[in-house]
Amino acid sequence: MPEHGGRLIEASRRYGIAPAQWLDLSTGISPFAYPLPPLEPELWRRLPDEEDDLTAAAAAYYGTSHCLAVPGTQAALQALPRILAARRVAVLDPTYAEYAYVWARTGCEVTSVPEGAMGEAAKNFGAVVLCNPNNPDGYVFTGERLAHMRSELAARAGWLVVDEAYADISGGVSVASEAGVPGLIVLCSMGKFFGLAGIRTGFVLGPAEILARMRDELGPWAVSGPARHVAGIALRDRPWQQAARQRLHAARDRLGDMLAACGLESAGSTFLFHWILHPDARAVQDRLARRGILVRAFDRPQALRMGFPGAERDWKRLDGALREVAHAVP
Amino acid sequence: MSTLLAAPLAWLLDRMFGEPRRLHPLVGFGALAAALERSLRRESDRNQTQRIKGVLAVVLLLAPIAAAAQVLASLPVVGVAIEVLLLYLALGARSLEEHGNAVARALAADDIAAARAKVGRIVSRDAEGMDEGAIARATVESVLENGNDAVFAALFWFAIAGAPGVVLYRLSNTLDAMWGYRNARYLHFGWFAARLDDALNYVPARLTAIVYGVVGNFPRALACWRHHAPLWYSPNAGPVMAAGAGALGLKLGGDARYGGEWKRRPELGCGKAPRHADIGRALALVRRATCVWIAVAVGIQIGIQWAITGWAHA
Repeated sequence: MPEHGGRLIEASRRYGIAPAQWLDLSTGISPFAYPLPPLEPELWRRLPDEEDDLTAAAAAYYGTSHCLAVPGTQAALQALPRILAARRVAVLDPTYAEYAYVWARTGCEVTSVPEGAMGEAAKNFGAVVLCNPNNPDGYVFTGERLAHMRSELAARAGWLVVDEAYADISGGVSVASEAGVPGLIVLCSMGKFFGLAGIRTGFVLGPAEILARMRDELGPWAVSGPARHVAGIALRDRPWQQAARQRLHAARDRLGDMLAACGLESAGSTFLFHWILHPDARAVQDRLARRGILVRAFDRPQALRMGFPGAERDWKRLDGALREVAHAVP
Repeated sequence: MSTLLAAPLAWLLDRMFGEPRRLHPLVGFGALAAALERSLRRESDRNQTQRIKGVLAVVLLLAPIAAAAQVLASLPVVGVAIEVLLLYLALGARSLEEHGNAVARALAADDIAAARAKVGRIVSRDAEGMDEGAIARATVESVLENGNDAVFAALFWFAIAGAPGVVLYRLSNTLDAMWGYRNARYLHFGWFAARLDDALNYVPARLTAIVYGVVGNFPRALACWRHHAPLWYSPNAGPVMAAGAGALGLKLGGDARYGGEWKRRPELGCGKAPRHADIGRALALVRRATCVWIAVAVGIQIGIQWAITGWAHA
């Protein structure tokens, strides 16, 4: 299975630092998590009810009624190869490793395609899978390009799968509100912007027949009652969303400046992480880890992905560590 | 003289002697081209001027040599031998095998350092840091691509236009290797050399792709050609490598590092990532393909002769 960020316990064992001491910036999950509302004991006792108001809340938030709550986008991702009749799949390179992995393990022929050739891939393949903005390099496909690719694919009954885990729904990047048109599937996550990765809740947006088959694949009560309840409240909380968005954009700028001051140039970013090319990224990762700061490192090319700290003392800690490390690893 | 004898003879010479180790004419040609570039190209030239000078350089280098080849090949008695000799010089089948096998042997002996050194002699990407998979992949890609450049396209242009054809092709291919880069130095000066090589390789590359399929897994080669070649950044290498990868059931392409920079390349083909044993399979594919090409070329020649004779008798 592919390696991911967020493996704090493993890091704590390896570096001999207790899990609670770590500043975990390895995942791109918002540090400003949605404050959990108190939960009625009934929520734990009853089976989840799909007729609750979660779907309506999601429809209002994403701007389309073509949505289905799923137990995390990962679960949806794993079901997609069985739902879409695509034998040849083009997956953006570089990107989240699970896309290629889940399609390949169901026997599909998976081809890694760099951003520049994705338009060509849309003319030839049964499905094109990408993340927008992309994880880990922050690359953004314009809506116009995505629309063009979707129409190429839809004309041959193919599919464009867009993972919007890192999209700011109001940032002009998202195509979520177009969901329902033929050939487009959008995956949305409650884990990143809302900082609720633990509740494993996300949404699949797409044509009705795909949503119906997804529901079949995942079975009844796929999303837990407490998760549905919390997600519904978070999706309706516009003032919180607005404030979180502002804080995240400020954090993006602040980390960008902090990196630049240490000679680490951000080569791309979303409102949840920065992507930093560095010839010795693994050494930087190691030195940060020795200081109890966990970031993701990548090899081709060598690069780091860094989420944002939340608390002021975490910012200070990161700043100090970055200065020391930049000094040690030129 | 007809391809009927020249192609098999030249091929035989190549099999027996390989590339001339000393005094290879292409080395001299390379030096000549470098000298011409030095005297023509100025950093201060505007883009348009660089382009015009690039066209001029290619014409100045190719036209006299191709014309000389035409004159020499038309000479009575020795003309035939000169034709065979020129085609022999343009072929690099044995050299391809030697280089490919050297990498395969080093990998089979688990000598990664030696394998990197050997693969560094046939590919332009950085060999430093490559593992077995990357070395095998780079070598198989090079073998498939050179199966076109150093074998089939040369035979093709010989069959089409005789000695001047093959000389023109081989030299244009050399100029492309010297100047055909999209960097600051060559983007404009090398533009024509690159386009000329693209044009001369257009038909041969596609015929190569077909023949790779014929002597390998045909349906898979065609499927990979159709699906993966359009993703590739070079119009001729795409079909050749995609069809070759399909014919062999291998997955090629993918990221590679050039001059310290990672280049994102699409994947080509389907199946397993190549291992050292696949280098031998790629070489065998090129060998089988060469036999088909020569047989077809000879067959066409016999057909033409037969038609002409038949028509003359009618």
